[in-house]
Amino acid sequence: MYKLFLCLRYLRCRVIAYFAILAVALCVAMMLIVVSVMNGFLAKVERAAKGLFGDIVLESRSTEGMGLYDEFIAQVHKNVPEVEAASPFILVPCYLRIPGGNWSQIVQAAGIRLPERAAVTGFAKGLFVQAGGASPTFDPPIAQAIDCLDGQIKFIEAQRASLPGSQGDRTAALELETRLDNALLAHLGAKAILRRAKDRQAAIAESYAKLRAAYAESHGEPTDKTEAAEKQLEELTLAAGWLDPSRHIIMGLGIPGLCFRTDEGKTIRFICPGSKVSLSLIPLGSGLGAAPSLNSKTFTIVDDCQTDVSSIDSGIVYVPFETLQQLNNMAASYSADKPGELAIPARCNQIHIKVRSERTDEQYLETVRAKVERQARDFHDAHPEAMMGDVAVQTWRQRQAVIVGPIEKQRTLTVIMFGIISLVAVVLIFVIFYMIVFQKTKDIGVLKAVGAGSFGVAQIFLAYGAAIGLVGAMVGTVGGYYFVRYINPIQDAVDRWFGFRVWDREFFMFEKIPNEVEVAPALLIVAGAIVAGLLGALIPAWRAARMQPVEALRYE
Amino acid sequence: MSEPLVLVQGLHKSYRLGKVDLHVLRGVSFGLTEGSFTAVVGASGSGKSTLLHMVGLLDRPDRGKIVFAGRDVTSLPARRRNEIRCRDVGFVFQFYHLLGELNVLENVLLPAKVDSSVFAWARRRGQARRTAMGFLDRLGLRDRLRHRPKELSGGERQRVAVARALMNRPRVLLADEPTGNLDSASGRGILDLLKQSNRRDGQTILMVTHDISLAEQTDKVLALRDGQLSEA
Repeated sequence: MYKLFLCLRYLRCRVIAYFAILAVALCVAMMLIVVSVMNGFLAKVERAAKGLFGDIVLESRSTEGMGLYDEFIAQVHKNVPEVEAASPFILVPCYLRIPGGNWSQIVQAAGIRLPERAAVTGFAKGLFVQAGGASPTFDPPIAQAIDCLDGQIKFIEAQRASLPGSQGDRTAALELETRLDNALLAHLGAKAILRRAKDRQAAIAESYAKLRAAYAESHGEPTDKTEAAEKQLEELTLAAGWLDPSRHIIMGLGIPGLCFRTDEGKTIRFICPGSKVSLSLIPLGSGLGAAPSLNSKTFTIVDDCQTDVSSIDSGIVYVPFETLQQLNNMAASYSADKPGELAIPARCNQIHIKVRSERTDEQYLETVRAKVERQARDFHDAHPEAMMGDVAVQTWRQRQAVIVGPIEKQRTLTVIMFGIISLVAVVLIFVIFYMIVFQKTKDIGVLKAVGAGSFGVAQIFLAYGAAIGLVGAMVGTVGGYYFVRYINPIQDAVDRWFGFRVWDREFFMFEKIPNEVEVAPALLIVAGAIVAGLLGALIPAWRAARMQPVEALRYE
Repeated sequence: MSEPLVLVQGLHKSYRLGKVDLHVLRGVSFGLTEGSFTAVVGASGSGKSTLLHMVGLLDRPDRGKIVFAGRDVTSLPARRRNEIRCRDVGFVFQFYHLLGELNVLENVLLPAKVDSSVFAWARRRGQARRTAMGFLDRLGLRDRLRHRPKELSGGERQRVAVARALMNRPRVLLADEPTGNLDSASGRGILDLLKQSNRRDGQTILMVTHDISLAEQTDKVLALRDGQLSEA
């Protein structure tokens, strides 16, 4: 009883114990922050890679790509039950510009199938217009887009209203005001386009009905009437700028020059759904000829996507798979000699596969990967025209090994470094306890005089050390948790006040610093702190236990 | 004649001070009968405290034997010695040796806590508090229960130390210069307390002091000279 009693009393009454608690708390908070940020960073890399590639990626090493992908996917579904979904994918570098404007940027154009892709990756999660929808398409309802723009317009107006007046940094405020004005104009313009498109939907439907009637009347033969109806429909469609899903594009939300971030971390667009962009690319799908020509197409923006991975959001735009196939000369070509006979099948660069199981460990994915690879070999043997002889089948981790490997090593190194730094807490506890044992020499003598055993005396100091470790760990965990939780606002505040930014989103690939604390590492750190407290108290406790009561009582 | 409660036979103890062996006790023998109040007098450094520490099992003799309640306790293992110290021996020191972090009541309760596990204390707590309060009442410290030792006078501190020594109702009370650090009035008060405890409760007391006038107020006075004990 006396051990617990004295331990708690020493903990409460001795001011020096608070310094030991503070040291432990700081070390625990430091470790928690480092481990959480590093683990979060790795988890984000994983999520990003899986968000882009799925669990397993089948990639052609040839620029011409691989054909018969639908047949291959059907075979994989049939023979590899672990595969839940698969989708073909094209990724090509292209030149993105706003028609009639000066802005342009080199980005990657991703040809995807919607909603198929949403089943393979988490693509649907970050959409703006189709937020939270399970089946995103390249043809979302106009009304939905208008609602989204309305929300954004309100937000921009609120931002504008909250701009500082004469106080504060006037230059920065003016710059922000100009940006907000431009964004507001873009939103209002886009909204007007969408409204017109919506208004014309009825007219288009009517015009389409007229066209059908004209063709019915002429038994399918083109006449002046059908031509007039076609022309009217085309004019209306072009004016609406919305109705051809094959010419729709989903932008990455983060392309430099097309949006900006507020201090609160909100992204404001300069270009919105309803606006047009143009894509130009050198088609690599049929190899580079002697004089490669540029393929271009104008697209209407229907949505944008934010994955929170800076490198993806700032450099990828999504267009319908078949459209990009055409643009990149990967569509099927037919024999010139024998019309109707397929010369080269339609192709894609990659096939992304999602594995059915909730198990996502590398060992399991590797098993499925091997099965898919075997299927690819078999398919190539059976269908040489599919050009699947030179494909790489990799799990997401294997594909991202160049990125994930160094980050994992860096995490281990950082944890070791900070672990060594945390040993300072052990030394500090040792010094403090050594001092306390010296100060308490007479108390130890008295305790032994009233019958306390050596082990009992040692237990007081060991429990005292463990208690310091526990209390310090609890304080540090709470502090570290809230620091990690609010790490992004803290960084923004530091940036605002001191102009010092630790997290460079261009360098670290992600928009925000990871801010999730995992339970298992946190528990491990708390346990480590208690052990550190025990270790620090061990030698002083041993010394106290060995102390002869007579010497202790005589100690001056 | 009844068998003594404590019997000391041929006790030897020496210390090494630098290169010199200091023979403090050279064959000390004596007995304490139950309910007796014995004083050991001697000059400063004569080995009185050493003798007391050995009788209280805080130290081990080089040679000789200590018999407690008919049992040789000289070479008992530490655990058994701790038990005897806790239950059968009470110490009063010259410099009180109260624990500064504890208040008066907690200091007095300390031996009872040392003698109890957490569960045993839960059962025993009420009774122990009543006992401690009874002692403190008798010693006139009822209104000082929550005070820390540093808030008390020397005499009050020593009264708390006496209460603590009596807390587990030990069979023998060992007092090491209990008045040595007090003014004469306080010293007299402490001695009266010890006498009262001896006469009223039959408490066996062994007190070492260099003050002959105090020693004369006990039943028996032993003098320690040159490491040997003789009846004064």
